[in-house]
Amino acid sequence: MASYNKLTPEIAAQLRAVVGERRFFVGEAVDPNYGHDEMPIYGKHLPEAAVDVETTEEVSEIMKICHANRIPVTCRGAGTGLVGGCVPLAGGLVLCTRRMNKILDYDMENLVVRIQPGVLLKDLAADALEHGLMYPPDPGEKTATVGGNISTNAGGMRAVKYGVTRDYVLALTVVLADGRIIELGKSVCKTSSGYSLLHLMVGSEGTLGIITEMTMKLIPKPICDVSCLLPFRDVEACIHSVPKIKLANLDPQSIEFMDADIVTSSAAFTGNPIFPETVNNEEVGASILVTFVGADEEELDQKMITLGKVAEKAGAMDVLVVATSSNKKAAWSARSSFLTAIEADTKLIDEMDVVVPVDKIPDFLIYIRRLGDENGIRIRNFGHAGDGNLHIYCCSNDLEEEEFKRRVKIIMDKAYTKCAELEGQVSGEHSIGHAKMVYLRESVGEDVFRLMSDIKKVFDPEGILNPGKVCDDTLAG
Amino acid sequence: MLKILVCVKQIPDVDLVKMDPETGNLVRTGVPTLTNPLDLNALEAAVQTKERFGGEITLITMGPPMAESTLRECLAVGGDEAILITGRPFGGADTLSTSYTIVKAAEMKGSFDLIFCGKETMDGATGQMASQLAERFDASQISCCYSIEDIADGKVRATRTLETGKEIVEATLPCLITVEKDRFYGRLPNLKAYLAAKTAEITTYTENDIDGLDPEKIGVPGSGTIVPRIYPPELPEPGQIINTGSVRTDVGRLLELLAEKDSI
Repeated sequence: MASYNKLTPEIAAQLRAVVGERRFFVGEAVDPNYGHDEMPIYGKHLPEAAVDVETTEEVSEIMKICHANRIPVTCRGAGTGLVGGCVPLAGGLVLCTRRMNKILDYDMENLVVRIQPGVLLKDLAADALEHGLMYPPDPGEKTATVGGNISTNAGGMRAVKYGVTRDYVLALTVVLADGRIIELGKSVCKTSSGYSLLHLMVGSEGTLGIITEMTMKLIPKPICDVSCLLPFRDVEACIHSVPKIKLANLDPQSIEFMDADIVTSSAAFTGNPIFPETVNNEEVGASILVTFVGADEEELDQKMITLGKVAEKAGAMDVLVVATSSNKKAAWSARSSFLTAIEADTKLIDEMDVVVPVDKIPDFLIYIRRLGDENGIRIRNFGHAGDGNLHIYCCSNDLEEEEFKRRVKIIMDKAYTKCAELEGQVSGEHSIGHAKMVYLRESVGEDVFRLMSDIKKVFDPEGILNPGKVCDDTLAG
Repeated sequence: MLKILVCVKQIPDVDLVKMDPETGNLVRTGVPTLTNPLDLNALEAAVQTKERFGGEITLITMGPPMAESTLRECLAVGGDEAILITGRPFGGADTLSTSYTIVKAAEMKGSFDLIFCGKETMDGATGQMASQLAERFDASQISCCYSIEDIADGKVRATRTLETGKEIVEATLPCLITVEKDRFYGRLPNLKAYLAAKTAEITTYTENDIDGLDPEKIGVPGSGTIVPRIYPPELPEPGQIINTGSVRTDVGRLLELLAEKDSI
């Protein structure tokens, strides 16, 4: 089992000297929120101290001190994660990047932007649009930091067309565990230059290094867009339409799935019933929301006409158009509210973020619902139908926490086994943290898991970076 | 068959309109437009009425030529025909001359049994149009309509929302109705209707096309009010958010600030 040193007053004084009194917090002065992320069911662990960093050099100095004294360091952005990734399991120091929130500069010739890791996703998205550009990744949590998005390789709704965060990271400045500063990647479109440590860093959840600056790729802002809502009688028909839509050469920007329960919850929560629960007096079982971008309205109309034909053959009850600014605002705010709507009427919540082959989505959903029924746990789900990434929430308002956890473990154990049978992955975009490590290990097998652990040791031989996460099982005893 | 008129207005996206601090004028150039949201609630009530009791919906708006897009949006969700009143002489109209113009133009299509309109617009927000239209159409009026219960024998029976509860009222036709927005959310158009609305014929009336129109009663000459100046409200000094992440530090800073202002 890993052992770390306590943060003594002498070490605290050294750390305080790096950033000054106002950005160093110790003991009770540490924000209690630093003990958890947005999924507190996985446990709360407060650090001994916390520091708000502002520069790469500060991060480097802090890491040198922590490395020399074997103090664990957990990097934190906005704390919006869902797998306990930023929770300091071994205590030590929380290094918070939220003050590193500057958009440094745009290179309009090469369509790239250089930013600090604490820039919020919503701020980067809005600022890029003002420059006539778009940052394509669109994870649902808009108040996450982009640094956090890189650390989890966040995906989001537009991944169908544009890919995920990884695809937009061109270069990173990283501080290693011992304080050395390295540069990974360049602001170029392609590379065939040795192992891609850049891509190893993406999705590594602060276990290999601390990202302190990023160069991100942007694209020209789309000229116009439209969405279509396709209601279906049942989940199976709904999901089976997805490959047909993808094969129709329409290049959708997103294909989002929502079942009837989540639509009802969202409408009650937002007071906004934009997604219909019935069509011609028939109940809607599940819907998909398809978004297109194009050069002009004519192009979008053509795409919608083709989609209409595909939808009719696939058994859609109707094709509804989301074209006006008011309807777009209402539709996307309803879609973005799904998790908040679930949280609002749920006392205890746990989640999984599996990704399965698109055609296996109905199999998995039917299975997980049955598990929920068998174990007295309410299941809510929505997700990115276009890429098979499902957000599944186990919810209860009645159970005691321990009983809830016991039942959810039964569900999760079986669900991840089913996911493996269907050739799926443990996480599509929320990452592993400490909550999903056991399932990652089962999913990838012992050889791959050990390779991951060995890579971690190369970057961080003392094991001080975010202990107990992804593939570091040394805290388990 | 019920003849239903729905009055709609295209407005600038009020979230994006800014005020010129020098002139006090609203800067609308380049600001996207939208259909007044409360008018869409009125349209939804009209469409539900048509679906239950049969009928035909005529849409009417007054505005620049680009207001046509609002009519097409409304045709896509249940309107059957649309009238656009447009022309320079109509510009600068207040509610008095607008209600006069709308009634004169609507009369070109005969009489209506039901008139629906939003209870106010998000830009002007006078809330005067409904009552003026009811008066000019010589129609009864039901405001704050929660649901339409029945239409029969030349009468409409509806439930109204009151501050203290609900009341059921009956009114003779023609009747003008304004609705509660929470009860009549606008629906999404289906694809066929959306595409059909793009090429639907729209009746356009200029000042020369409307029978019996008195030029002294339209536009600025017909307006009973003038707006000499528009200005933003004076806002108090914006607050300061102290959130360093540490309650202890935050409280310390708060005490410092209060001391600086001699408040403690």
